Amino acid sequence: MAELAGQAQDARKPETRRRPKARYAMPLKIALGWLALLALWEIAGRQQWVAGGALPSPSGILGQLIVDWHDYPEHIRATVRTSLIGFLLGNLVAVLVGFLMASWRPAGRLLSGVNVTLFAMPPIALTPILVIAFDGDAPRIALAALSTYYPTMVATVLGLTRVDARLLDLVRLYGGGRWATLRWIRLRHALPTLLAGLRVAAPNAVLGSLLAEFGSGAGAGLGHYLIGSLGRGDPARLWGIGLVATAISAGFYLSILLLARGWVGRQAPAQESLGGSSSGSMSRAGRLLCLAISVTLPVLLWWAAVWGLERVGVSPFVLRSPPELVVELFSTMRPESLTRIVGGALAQTVPWCLAGMLVGLAFALLLAIVGTLSPVLGRVLMPLSLLTQSMPLVALTPLIVLIFGRDGATILAITISVTFFPAYVTLAQGMALVPAATRDCVRVLGGSRWREIRLVSLPWSLPYLCAAARLVAPRAFLGVMIAEWLATGTGVGNLLNVARGSLDYGLVWAVVVAAVLVSVLLYLAVTLIEHWVLKRYAMASAS
Amino acid sequence: MTSAGLQLDRVSRRFDVDGRSLLALDAVSLDAPAGSFIALIGPSGCGKSTLLRMLAGLDQPTSGELRVGGETPLALQQRGALGIAFQEASLLPWRSVESNVRFPFDVIGRMTQADRERVREMIALVGLEGFEQALPSQLSGGMRQRVAIARALVSQPQLLLLDEPFGALDQILRRSMNEELQRLWLNRPVTTVMVTHSVDEAIFLADKVVVMSGRPGRIARVVDIPFPRERPLSLLASAECRELEAELLTLMFEGKPSDQDDSQDECRHG
Ligand SMILES: Nc1ncnc2c1ncn2[C@@H]1O[C@H](COP(=O)(O)OP(=O)(O)OP(=O)(O)O)[C@@H](O)[C@H]1O
Ligand SMILES: [Mg+2]
Repeated sequence: MAELAGQAQDARKPETRRRPKARYAMPLKIALGWLALLALWEIAGRQQWVAGGALPSPSGILGQLIVDWHDYPEHIRATVRTSLIGFLLGNLVAVLVGFLMASWRPAGRLLSGVNVTLFAMPPIALTPILVIAFDGDAPRIALAALSTYYPTMVATVLGLTRVDARLLDLVRLYGGGRWATLRWIRLRHALPTLLAGLRVAAPNAVLGSLLAEFGSGAGAGLGHYLIGSLGRGDPARLWGIGLVATAISAGFYLSILLLARGWVGRQAPAQESLGGSSSGSMSRAGRLLCLAISVTLPVLLWWAAVWGLERVGVSPFVLRSPPELVVELFSTMRPESLTRIVGGALAQTVPWCLAGMLVGLAFALLLAIVGTLSPVLGRVLMPLSLLTQSMPLVALTPLIVLIFGRDGATILAITISVTFFPAYVTLAQGMALVPAATRDCVRVLGGSRWREIRLVSLPWSLPYLCAAARLVAPRAFLGVMIAEWLATGTGVGNLLNVARGSLDYGLVWAVVVAAVLVSVLLYLAVTLIEHWVLKRYAMASAS
Repeated sequence: MTSAGLQLDRVSRRFDVDGRSLLALDAVSLDAPAGSFIALIGPSGCGKSTLLRMLAGLDQPTSGELRVGGETPLALQQRGALGIAFQEASLLPWRSVESNVRFPFDVIGRMTQADRERVREMIALVGLEGFEQALPSQLSGGMRQRVAIARALVSQPQLLLLDEPFGALDQILRRSMNEELQRLWLNRPVTTVMVTHSVDEAIFLADKVVVMSGRPGRIARVVDIPFPRERPLSLLASAECRELEAELLTLMFEGKPSDQDDSQDECRHG
């Protein structure tokens, strides 16, 4: 054994010797890669290569930004204020719920319906209702808070529970109880994970705040500014707004990153395990009961919210409780039944969503493979991907509309672009986790790089592909809806816009509920496929 | 605080795994005087860690009784009179060396001036002066394990529990850590139970080697180690030691309790 270990070390030596040179070569290549991309962009912009000037050059965008600068401060202030308040409120709730779920197991089961709904729900779908029910900053704050909740809640639970069991034993051994393990181990252990969650939540808050400005009339805020500028067809300004929104998002992201660096150093956050959770010890009847409660809980919350809004003086005329909506859905008093209108819109939206998602995932997989073959390319792409994750979706959309026009191609392009980057990040990280020893096994046997990818890296990344699909399914749906709202005037996205404008509140509620429901179902379907694939995969690798 | 003897009376432990019941330990009985060093060896899965966890009060026997100096492990826990170290050092990654060694006092909730002195003293004893402010990630495997040992000893426990503390170290480092542990132990001979996979480590350190057999876990034999202390590492090369090692290995590989077992404290369920 000791001999083998020694050999392995010897085998690695040549590589370590090569390293000093590589240390300078790599960043240089990456920097050159970035410069090349930027230069290409500048040339493409100046020569108006893309769709007759829809892609302005970086210098052009910067110039326009300076010209427009007097417009920006009020919009930036409004967006930062509302997303910050929403961020704080959403995180407060998320951390409290996370604590509850970590300390009382059944809570996780009971709340799973609410959690999945909040994760999969396209925030834009709630906009019409929030705008109807509240005024002022409230819709933006509410949507920012709702968009913040999920990542923070998950991170809190993970951080508090994924603790080295021996550390907990150690505290118990010295007579410490639950409080002592919480105080000495769990809280501190949860910190890096919680901060990582906050980092993901921050761009979500900005996105939520921007989306709540859609269709809510005039006012201050980058979302308003964006929509107001859409009609003027000035690409450089749209790009400028997009960049500013991205900068705000990235600023949130970076301040939390720096906070984390200073506070917890480089301690790695706990990872969500791939491949589902264990069912724990609970009887079949108990599990079914929990499932029933968890499914009804979101509906009950909706009901309670409507009831509460009526109490605070919102007109019952614009509100619909679950039974009221059901009655209205099947009512024959309308010229065209609600189910037909909504069904027709969904039939337009869902295929685009699936197509965009599949193509986006395929691209991501392809690029992840290329990235393992050419590390430089991977290192150039990764920061770009992380950057786009902090870029609010809406900031991207008008730009794509400019480039692709107002038809199906735009929908597809937007859906691919919102699914591609997160999927790529997940996949590339998965491929980077392939144990070197496993890869070396193939190499020692004389296998080529391609063989190694086929036999090791690809099967290894299958769970990550599934996780990526689960992650991007709701995003794809949101992307299609934004594209339909802003660009094509079709499908559910457009219906959301139209219904609100026509003051048909029954239709508004029907569309909103349908959009949320379909998104949740889409997510659940992907989760089911994931379970099936992982099960098969495990069986295949075991035999 | 002095150390305490061990009394195990027909200790059994059952686990329910996927609805099936698994007898991990079957009526284990053992007596050991205060201040003795016990080594537990046996095939993987025979219940060594389970036994250790019960001695630590982290797990309760399904039947039978454990006493440490007449008290239950839980009572010892409450007084902060136990010390433990695991195979991986299990340090708190966010705490410095000094802070990790001090950790037991933080949990117990009191730290006197003398305790503070002891923290410094223990760090010196395990040879980590100058590394007080280092984080675990900045230490080598052997250094981390020393921190873990220092942490286990700092509260002057009446019972020291070690679960393969040097299992992750290479042979040479393991030997020198064995020597170091013997020195620390002779300094203050606390009752110690140590699980190990290494037979020569058991012979070098222990007064009694408890050989266990698996499925269900039972004590196959208790072997007294006669060599006087302080034992030199060269002992391991001696003929008597080799002989003893061979005997223990045979016992382990037989995997069954021997029939003509003459040792006093072994007991089997019929
Ligand atoms: N919490 C538990 N739940 C179910 N079964 C357990 C649990 N802990 C231990 N066991 C079972 O009890 C048996 C003994 O386990 P234990 O960890 O004590 O073995 P061990 O002798 O320490 O093995 P090793 O030398 O590999 O560390 C094993 O069969 C194990 O599967
Ligand atoms: Mg063990």
